[in-house]
Amino acid sequence: MQFRLVAVLTAVVAAGAIGLAQTRSAARSITGSWEAYPLRGEGFGSGVPPKTPVTPPKPIPEPPLRQPHLDQWRAQQAHDAELTRKGLPPPSSGMACAPQGMPAVMQATFPMEILETPGQVTIIQEAFTQVRRIFLNVPAVAPEDADPRFFGHSTGRWEGGTLVVNTVGVKESARVRNVPHSAGMRITERLRLVNAEILENQVTVEDPEYLNGPWTWTWMYKKWPTYRIEEYVCEDNRYFEDPELRYQRLRLK
Amino acid sequence: MRPLRDRARLLLAVAAIGLTPSAPVGAHHSFAPYETTLQVKMAGVVTAVKWANPHVYFEIDAPDGTSGATRHWLIECASTSILNRAGWKFNMLKAGDRVTVIVSPLRNGESAALLKQLTLADGKKYGNGAVAGPATIE
Repeated sequence: MQFRLVAVLTAVVAAGAIGLAQTRSAARSITGSWEAYPLRGEGFGSGVPPKTPVTPPKPIPEPPLRQPHLDQWRAQQAHDAELTRKGLPPPSSGMACAPQGMPAVMQATFPMEILETPGQVTIIQEAFTQVRRIFLNVPAVAPEDADPRFFGHSTGRWEGGTLVVNTVGVKESARVRNVPHSAGMRITERLRLVNAEILENQVTVEDPEYLNGPWTWTWMYKKWPTYRIEEYVCEDNRYFEDPELRYQRLRLK
Repeated sequence: MRPLRDRARLLLAVAAIGLTPSAPVGAHHSFAPYETTLQVKMAGVVTAVKWANPHVYFEIDAPDGTSGATRHWLIECASTSILNRAGWKFNMLKAGDRVTVIVSPLRNGESAALLKQLTLADGKKYGNGAVAGPATIE
């Protein structure tokens, strides 16, 4: 009797789960190609605005860095901007063909592809062919167990129509806006469809060692159903760091 | 004589343009080493093309505006995918083709430039993506 009841309950729960999955996959699937929204100009995307435009997200706010990190970061930003104004941009990880890593990869520099498969969401960013894997419904990785990686260690779960992703273990050199962080940084993303064409990603960065509080912003993406992600292998990198002046230079030959 | 001024006088056309602070960031590097406030137009013959990432490059020989001597230029384009999305095709440009380009040269005087617009022998014009920005001269 008890066995029969458990079996029935299990079947009901499983059916419910399948039903949920089917409902989401039919109407709320995020699988497919996406481009940054607002649209970014010639060569970056489709150039086709969404049928129902939505209010674009606000720019990323200044990070709530603790002192002396805030003063150091502001000084570095000003220094880099001045060098760039003079035509001597400081070296960057991109110049070395290093991946953007988390969370910068999610700004959708070029179009990106999201793939939903059982137990996993995979995100492929065309620029530098960056790949991140989000494992669903598994225990989060503890920061002390996470070896440092460009994309960290991501786990997630669906909460209704929102995919909540937790990422730890991002290597120190992978920075957004060149903001420093510790090995204990935690990134929480909340991805949800605003409408049939617009996907929103609310990003929250927490890092008690460097930040006074959560650093939060939103990125948005527009669906581009017909786009096939292109190959991007950084095979002919002609940029290098000038050994004396330490700025980005172009190799002519 | 500053090389930039020298080059500006020698080349076919020069126009000052505004900076584009709202231009989106690129994937690979800053375009700040180029003199983005200057655009020059020159006609020449393509000597080499490399369709690859992070940037497509082609080289041209173009006559110097005053001396008539040939000067060799490396022209930097965007990534292959940006160019594909901007209407380019990987084999539309080859050595021996006569082209006209509008470019922003390097600030340090070296013979390389950022493409703003490419015009093929058949008159078709191609841009170089939003980060490079549009041509503002004709």
